[in-house]
Amino acid sequence: MELEMEKVMRFMGRYSLGRDNGMGSLHFLRIKIPGGVITSEYFKGIAELSREYGRGYAEITDRQDIQLHWIEGDDALDIFERLEKMGFTTDMCGQAFPGAGHGDVRNIVGCPLSGVNKDELIDGYPVIKELTRFFTGNEDFLDLPKKFKFSISGCMYNCTRAEINDMAFIPVVHDGEIGFTVLAGGGAGKTLPGPTLAKPLRVFLSQEEVFDVAVATVEIFRDHGNRESKAKARFKYLLDQIGVNGLRNMIEKKLGRKLEDYHGDVSREWIEHTGVGEQKDERYYVCVPLIGGKLSSDIMEWYAGLAEEYGTGDLRLTTFQNLIIVNVEDKEGLLKELGKEGVVLKGIIPKWTAVGCASDFCGKTKEYHSKEIVRDIVEHLETSYPNIFVNQDFKIGVSGCPNNCGYSVIASVGLEGRLIRVNGSVKQGYDIYLRGKLENGSIGRRVAEGVPAENVVNVLNKLLEQYKIKLKNESEIRFVDFLEKLSDTEIKKLVEVT
Amino acid sequence: MQEPKLERKSEGEYTLDVRGQTCPFPQILSQLALEKLREGSILEVITDNPPSARDVPIALRKKGYEVEVKKSNGQWHIVVKK
Ligand code: SF4
Repeated sequence: MELEMEKVMRFMGRYSLGRDNGMGSLHFLRIKIPGGVITSEYFKGIAELSREYGRGYAEITDRQDIQLHWIEGDDALDIFERLEKMGFTTDMCGQAFPGAGHGDVRNIVGCPLSGVNKDELIDGYPVIKELTRFFTGNEDFLDLPKKFKFSISGCMYNCTRAEINDMAFIPVVHDGEIGFTVLAGGGAGKTLPGPTLAKPLRVFLSQEEVFDVAVATVEIFRDHGNRESKAKARFKYLLDQIGVNGLRNMIEKKLGRKLEDYHGDVSREWIEHTGVGEQKDERYYVCVPLIGGKLSSDIMEWYAGLAEEYGTGDLRLTTFQNLIIVNVEDKEGLLKELGKEGVVLKGIIPKWTAVGCASDFCGKTKEYHSKEIVRDIVEHLETSYPNIFVNQDFKIGVSGCPNNCGYSVIASVGLEGRLIRVNGSVKQGYDIYLRGKLENGSIGRRVAEGVPAENVVNVLNKLLEQYKIKLKNESEIRFVDFLEKLSDTEIKKLVEVT
Repeated sequence: MQEPKLERKSEGEYTLDVRGQTCPFPQILSQLALEKLREGSILEVITDNPPSARDVPIALRKKGYEVEVKKSNGQWHIVVKK
């Protein structure tokens, strides 16, 4: 018997809903915004969807998507139809299947200032668009062993966390030519071989070569990735088995030619484009810090309106879950408008760089969820250490579980949720990780297990107080360097819960 | 992509195989199928996607259908009476 399928089939392979398990929500909708580039018109369009179907709530994810919750299956086709008109698709959310497979190419992240950034060597956005077009709904790439994450950025800074992507293209100058080099096999999650920073492939690519190398890599992953179990199915596991040289040989074989060598430096400073900055065309960008990427439909419309009034109606989403209005001429006017509503673009850098996952909706945390902890830590830093972190950053990453969507293991101070037993009842706890970093990268070290959630800010405060004392003698020392220098015994004493 | 098929097993009994499909498609396809069937028919929806196994029965019960769920060999058989 035939079902009237045209309308349904049209959306299959390009749209899906993900599973929520908390806050009374059953489904989330993760809208891919390639490179985080969006117009005010579509930002308002998504705000409307949020108002009509998602209780007026939205969040920016750490992969520059916009995520809505409380989506009913019955409304999905209408929502998909409206997204299709805007040219957006969603993640395919096949991760709930028990085995490997059903993996897709996730939203491709890029420098949120691509095209206007005065610190960029190349504009990475055109190839992001080209690859997104190629992979979207492409049946040959809808059943990868697991999801695949690309970062393509032409920015001189590491504003996309290149090292925790399956493959990252980063800009370099080689023999006077500007192009990309490649990092491969990163991933912050617990799947085998555990949290891993991507390794250099030691190749130099012209801009024109990026597309072919990206497609060849996903084909290799599709055809050679492990499908025995979910734990072994990510690309980083395959890379661990074949090595970077093995991967390079396979790519070259597919392309039918050798790639050029590149042995230069690949480490760049991990930053967010915070506050107000000048663009290459002498206009300005204004980056608004959003704690945990949280937005409401009203606020989205307000920002969209400001982007139209003070800019060219162009907005950007960042991997730190913030929002940027670009192409601003009257920056003072915009800052005044923002200030009227209490949005202040001065202050501590961690309010832009702290990241928290959606553990509340995910259902992995019982109480005191990731985004709430981020909010409280940032408030504490602003109240108790207002002057220290204005000029220096340290990364705070909070995840509800070892899947590490809030990248606890690469943060200077990372928290990873786990449920603990206190006097016979189950409560929310967090493991504490210290000293993760991407510059000459290292994975953070777990220094405490199952700290009761309500004590987490106090524990962090003990570290900060010690740091403040240290600053009296060594006025130049940064918090991250202070953490590096602590001995194991000192750490143990400081993170002990009394 | 393979088009999910609604198959007649016997008089008044049908099977809808939506294995490999993610939310919301198993729910939407089940509803489309039920619209086609006569009162009193039985529809067995087969899924291997855990979120769909949770959500399809919730959505169909909300619409007033009688629903029973059995799990075997890593897949769910959602039996719906129209
Ligand atoms: S880290 Fe865990 S709790 Fe947080 S969003 Fe990812 S899966 Fe959910």
